[in-house]
Amino acid sequence: MADDNKKQKNGVSRRDFLRTSALVGCGALVASQLDFAQGLIARVEAGELTPFEAYELMKAENTLYTVCLNCNTGCGIKVKIMEGVAVKVDGNPYNPFTLHPHIPMKEDLDKAAKIDGAICPKGQAGHQGAYDPYRIRKVLKRAGKRGEGKWMSVPFDQAVSEIVNGGMLFAHVPGEEMRHVAGLKEIMALRDPAVFDEMGKDIASLRKKKTPEEKKKAVEEFKVKHAANLDKLIDPDHPDFGPKNNQFVYWWGRKKGGRADFAKRFTEQFGTVNTHGHTTVCQGSLYFACKAMSEQYVGDTFKDGQKFYWQPDTENSEYILFVGSNLFDANYGPPNRTPRLMSRLVEGKVKITVLDPRFSKLAAKGNRWVPVKPGTDAAFAMGMTRWILENKQFDAKYLANCNKAAATADKETTWSNGPWLVKLDKDGKPGAFLRASEIGLKDKETRKDKDGKDFTFEYLVAMKDGKPVPFDPNDEKEAVEGELFVTRELTDKEGKPVKVKSALQVMLETSQEKSIAEYAKICGIEPKVIEDVAREFTSYGKKAAVDVHRGPAQHTNGFYNISSLMNLNLLVGNFDWTGGMIAASTFNVDGTKTDKQPFNFKKITPKAPKAFGLSIIRHDAKYEESTLFTGKESYPAKRNWWPLSSDVYEEILPSMADAYPYPIKAVFSYMGTPAYSLPAGHTMIEALVNLERIPLYFANDITIGTTTMYADYVFPDFHYMERWEMQGSHPNMPVKVQPVRQPVIASPNEVVKVFGEEQPISYETLWLALAEKLGIAGFGPDGFAPGQPLTRPDDFYVRMVANLANDGKEPVPDASQAEIELFLKARRHLPKSVFDADRWQRISGGNWAKVVTVLNRGGRFDTQEASYKGDHVANKYGKQINLYQEKTYKVKDAFTGKHYLGMAKYVPIADTLDRPPVEQSKGYDLHLITQRDVKMCKSRTITNQYLTDLMPENAIIINTVDAKRLGLKEGQKVKVVSATNPEGVWDLKNGTKKPMVGKVKVTETIRPGIVTFTLGHGHWATGAADVLIDGKLIKGDPKRAGGIHANAAMWIDPHLKNTCMIDKVGGSVSFYDTKVRLVKV
Amino acid sequence: MEKDILVRMQEDLERALKKPAEKRRWVMLLDTRKCTNCNACSVACASENKLPPKMWYRPVFEIEQGKYPNIKRLSLPKPCLQCDNPPCVAACPVKGADGATWKETKGIGNGVVPVNYAKCIGCAKCVPACPYTARTMDNGAFHTAGTPELMKYETVASFEYGKNWPRQGKNQPIGNVRKCHFCMHRLANGMLPQCITSCICRMGYFGDENDPESLVAQVIKANRAKIQILKKEKGTKPRVYYLGNIDLKAFHGYF
Repeated sequence: MADDNKKQKNGVSRRDFLRTSALVGCGALVASQLDFAQGLIARVEAGELTPFEAYELMKAENTLYTVCLNCNTGCGIKVKIMEGVAVKVDGNPYNPFTLHPHIPMKEDLDKAAKIDGAICPKGQAGHQGAYDPYRIRKVLKRAGKRGEGKWMSVPFDQAVSEIVNGGMLFAHVPGEEMRHVAGLKEIMALRDPAVFDEMGKDIASLRKKKTPEEKKKAVEEFKVKHAANLDKLIDPDHPDFGPKNNQFVYWWGRKKGGRADFAKRFTEQFGTVNTHGHTTVCQGSLYFACKAMSEQYVGDTFKDGQKFYWQPDTENSEYILFVGSNLFDANYGPPNRTPRLMSRLVEGKVKITVLDPRFSKLAAKGNRWVPVKPGTDAAFAMGMTRWILENKQFDAKYLANCNKAAATADKETTWSNGPWLVKLDKDGKPGAFLRASEIGLKDKETRKDKDGKDFTFEYLVAMKDGKPVPFDPNDEKEAVEGELFVTRELTDKEGKPVKVKSALQVMLETSQEKSIAEYAKICGIEPKVIEDVAREFTSYGKKAAVDVHRGPAQHTNGFYNISSLMNLNLLVGNFDWTGGMIAASTFNVDGTKTDKQPFNFKKITPKAPKAFGLSIIRHDAKYEESTLFTGKESYPAKRNWWPLSSDVYEEILPSMADAYPYPIKAVFSYMGTPAYSLPAGHTMIEALVNLERIPLYFANDITIGTTTMYADYVFPDFHYMERWEMQGSHPNMPVKVQPVRQPVIASPNEVVKVFGEEQPISYETLWLALAEKLGIAGFGPDGFAPGQPLTRPDDFYVRMVANLANDGKEPVPDASQAEIELFLKARRHLPKSVFDADRWQRISGGNWAKVVTVLNRGGRFDTQEASYKGDHVANKYGKQINLYQEKTYKVKDAFTGKHYLGMAKYVPIADTLDRPPVEQSKGYDLHLITQRDVKMCKSRTITNQYLTDLMPENAIIINTVDAKRLGLKEGQKVKVVSATNPEGVWDLKNGTKKPMVGKVKVTETIRPGIVTFTLGHGHWATGAADVLIDGKLIKGDPKRAGGIHANAAMWIDPHLKNTCMIDKVGGSVSFYDTKVRLVKV
Repeated sequence: MEKDILVRMQEDLERALKKPAEKRRWVMLLDTRKCTNCNACSVACASENKLPPKMWYRPVFEIEQGKYPNIKRLSLPKPCLQCDNPPCVAACPVKGADGATWKETKGIGNGVVPVNYAKCIGCAKCVPACPYTARTMDNGAFHTAGTPELMKYETVASFEYGKNWPRQGKNQPIGNVRKCHFCMHRLANGMLPQCITSCICRMGYFGDENDPESLVAQVIKANRAKIQILKKEKGTKPRVYYLGNIDLKAFHGYF
C-alpha cells in the first residue's frame, strides 16, 4: 500500500506504465520528436508524468461494470472513473448486449478494460443524469399548493414520521389549515395474519356466488362472522374491497428485479393489494396477449400464463416481418439487436418487411416497406392468415400436434391448440373447448399435484380419422395428433347435439369474414402486398418470424392486433427454433432455484399476511364476481375490470379520483411519471391535485419531476449508477444472462441514519425507515434471521449476488486474490456508507470470492456457444401455446356484458362502449401517432446535455402533401389540438397552461394523413421549471423545456371522461388512435 | 462463430502496432449502408475528448431522397478525414516542423493531422480552409454552465494526444482549434477510436490498410470499385473512405 500511495503522489512509475501498455503499445512508440505518445514515454522516464497523463481510462482499476438504465434495454456498461467521478461510459464486453459475441467471463479484467462494447448515445451520456445539477439531495416537503413549485427541505426522519403518523401536516399551506391526513400506521389497520387468512377465504368464496342475491346473503353472513373486525375494512357492506390496508397504494414506473423484491418485502407485510406497475403505457397488450397465449391447461382450466412475450432470434432469422417495432431507435434495443441484424441485412442473408406508417430507420434498411394505416395491423395479419390457410402454406405437421408427446416426436418443444375441438353456442359462435367427459368419451379423473393435493383432470378432444379422441395436452408418453380443419356435430351424454369446430377451423372462418381485398382496404394498401408478404413469410420454414412491439399494441384493439400477429408465428411453428421466436432467459437471484444457492429468500422472509380484496385498478378480478355487480343493469361498469391484465397504469390515478371501487388514503410513487408518459396525461394532473381523493402523496425521484412536482413529499433517490438492481433480459436475447446493477459512484444524497446505519437517502432507505417506524417484520437488525440484519441496501443485494453466482449447474469460479484486490482498488472512491468491503464479505458468507467474480463483470452471462443446441435455442419456452384463447373467451366485457373473443381478429378502433370514434374525429384531419428517437428515452434523458445538444427540440412531423394542403412550411410553429383538448394545452393546474406548440418538419418519410412527434421533449419540470426551495429561487434550464410533448391532445374516453382511450382486453393505452388538427401559431 | 468486428479490429490494431510506424497506414472506412444516424459515435467522442456544447468531432448527417412511398433515408458520419493533402495545414500561419498543425508522418499518429495546442494561436484561419468543416474553435463553454452547479466530470482532464488537459480556467485547448485525431491516445494503447467502438451498427472500420490481414484492408479490397471519396475533386486525398448505396455527393451541401 505504501508503494501505491507513493505512486499516486509522484506519478505512475515507469514500470507500471510500461506494464499497462506492454501488450501492444511500446513497440509501436518509435522515436519521433513530434510523436506525442513518444513524448509521453520520455516524460514517464523523466518522472514528470502525473497519474492522469497516462491513459487512465484503460485501466481495470478505474473501470467498474454495471448496467445502463437510460432506457429499459439495460445494456451492460463499463463506467470509467477519474478523481472519483464517472467520466466515460462504454459497453461492458462481458455482456452480450454490447458485443456480439461477447467475451466469456473467464477473460481477464485487464483485457476487458481495454475492450469497449458499443452502446447507444443515451448510454454514452448516462453519467450526465447522475451529475444533473437539478438533482434533489434532501427530502422536500410541499410548502405551497400541490404543483405550485414551493418546497422546504425537511429532515428525513421528520418526513418519515409524518407519513407514518399523519396529522395536520400541511397547516402551513393556505386552505389546508384544518386538513387532517391519515398516516400509514392508521391505514395499516389489520395486522392479524389469522384474520387476513379467514377473511380472505370467505371473500374468495363470496366472489364465487352465482347470483347477486346469493352474494348479498354471503355479505350478511360475512358481517356476522367477522363482526369484531369490520372496523378494519374499507366498507363492511362491500367486504370484497378488503381491509383498510388496501388504502395505501404504491405504484412505480421503471423498476427492475431486486428493487422489486425489496419493495415487495415491505408491501406484503403491510398487507395491501395495491402495488401496481406501468406496463400498459409501454406495450401492455403485447404482454397480456402473450400471457393469454401462454396460459396452460391445468386440471380442467387454463392458468399460469406468463406476463412476457416472444421476439425473433434476430441473428438467425432469414425473414422477419417487423410490425410497429422500431429496433434501430427503440425496441430493447439498438445495441443488442442491430449487430445481430445489420450486417446480415446488407449481405442479403436476411430479408425484412416493415409494417409502419412511418418510413422508420428500420424500414429504410428493409427490403419492403408497407405503410399501413395505424391500428389496422390485425387486418393485415388476418389477410395473411387467410392466404396462408387457404393456400396451405402452414406447418401442418406442427399444427397437428395436440400434446407434448406428439410435439416431442416431431422434435418440437412447443405445440398449439389448433386441432383441439371448440364448442359452438346456439348462434354458432365458438366458446370453450370440449371436454371429453361432456360427450361421454372419457371421464374426468382425480389426480394429485406436486404437493400431493387432489385436483380434477378433464381430457380434451381432437378429431382423428373422423373420430373424436381424448387427450391430455401435457402427456409426455401418448402422442395425439388431430385433424386440422374440423366441423362436426357430436352428441353429449344425454344424446343432445354438440356442435364443434377445431380451433384452426375457427381461425380459418374468422379470417374469411373479410376478403383479402377488404383487409387491404382497411390497411390502406394494395391486396397484392398482403399476399406477397404471406408468401414470403411462409418461404423460409422456421427461420421466419413476426416481430411485434409497441406499434400494434398501443391501440384500443391492441390485444387482438398482437394475438393475430403472434398467431402467424404459430402457423409456421417457429417457437424455440433457431431463427424463430424465442423467450428471455435469466439466472436466478432469489435463491429458490437450486440447493447450492446460499440465501433462499423464501426461507429468510417472514411469512406475510395474505392480502385480499379488490385492487384500486380491479385487476385479476371479474366484475360479475364483485359486490358492485347486481345484475345486467350494472352494465356498463363505471370503469373497466381487468381479469386478464395487471399493472394497468392509466387506471391508477383516475380510479383514485373516482374512488372506484373505493377511496384511498395514501400514495407512494417510484420512478414514474404518468402525467408525462400517458396519453391524455393532463387527466393525471387533475387527479393528482385532488386533495380529497388523494389525501397523501409521497414520491421517490431524483429530480422534481413532471409528476412528482405534485407530491407532498419528494424523497431523493439514487441515480442508476449509484444503486443495485437485477436488470434481467429481453426476449430477443438468446444468451442466458443476469446483468447486475451496482453502485459505481458515490451518491450526492444526504446521509441519514436508519436502524442506526448511516446511508445516503434512497429508495431502499425510505422503505427501511418506514419499516422501522411501522414495526414491519423482516427488516432491521434481525431482518433475515436473528443476528442477520437488513438495515442497508447491500444486506439485500449482496445476498442476491451470492445466489446468482451459485445458480446453474456450475457456480462461477472464485476470484483470485489479485482480482479481489482489483475489486477493492476499483472501489477506492466509494464512501463506507455505500461500499464496506468487510460488511459485504460478511454478508456473502463463504461466497465472497464468487460475489467478486460476478460484480467484477457486471453480472453473470452464459457463453454464446451455450445458447444454441442444434437447430434449437438452448433456453427454451418449451410449452403449449394457445392459438384459441378459452380463458379470454370466458371473460365478459365489463361495459357491454358480452364475451371477449377467443379467436383473434381485426376489431376496429372504438371507445369503451364499442362506439367508433366518429364524433371526436369530425373536423380533425390528421391521425396522431408517436415515435421514439434513439437519442431520447421517454422522460429521463432530457437531463443529459449531450443529447439535448444533439436534439434541442423535437418536431411535428408531417408529409409534404399535408404540409402543402395546410400551407405549412418547415420550421413553422403549430399547435396540436383535438376534440378532447381543443385549447391544445397542458393545464398544469397551478395557473400555468403550457401550449402544445412545436415546429413543423416536412418529410416524405411518413404516410400522408399521419402526424408524429418523437417522445422525450416538451417538459414542464425535471429541471425545466423554476422552483422555490427554502425560499430560494432555483431557475430552470430552458433547454429542458424545448420541443413539444403532444400527449395531452390524445383522446379522452367519452365514457370514462378522466382517462385516455384504452384497450379493454389487454390494458394498453391508446397512443395512436387520435385525430388532431394543426393550428398555425 | 466469428468474433465481433470490434474485437477482430482490436487484434488487427495490436498487430499493426508491432510494425514500424512508417510501415502502417491508418485508414477508416465508413459503410453508410449500415449507419442509422444514432449518434452514438458523436456522443462517445464528445465524452471521450471532453468537447464543449455544440462541438462535434464526428457529426452525423441525414438526408432523404425520393417521393412517398419510394424513398431513401441515408446517413453519413463525418470525422476529420485526415487528408494526405490537407488544406487546413496550408492555411495555418504557424508553419514548420514544430508548427501548430501538420500532416504527421511518424510515430503513432502517422497519417493523422494533429493540432499542437501549445503552438496553436487560435487565429481560426484553418477553420474555413477545411472543405469538410472538420475544425471548430473551442469557446470554453460547459454543458452544465448556467445551471445550479458546474459539474466535475466536465473539468477533469481529457487525454487528447496522450497529454493531460484539465478543462479549467483558460487551459488549453480552450481558445484553440480542435478536431478529430483518430483517438491517437487510444491507438497508442491498443484501443480503437471511440467512434469505431461505439458504433452499434458496426458501420465503421479502422486499421492499417497496409496489413492485408486486417479487416479494414479486406473490406476495402472486396469493395474497391464501390469506394467513395467525399469531395474528391478537391484533391485532398482523405484517409477516410466511404461505402454507400447512393452517390454520397448528395451530402456535399451539408458541410
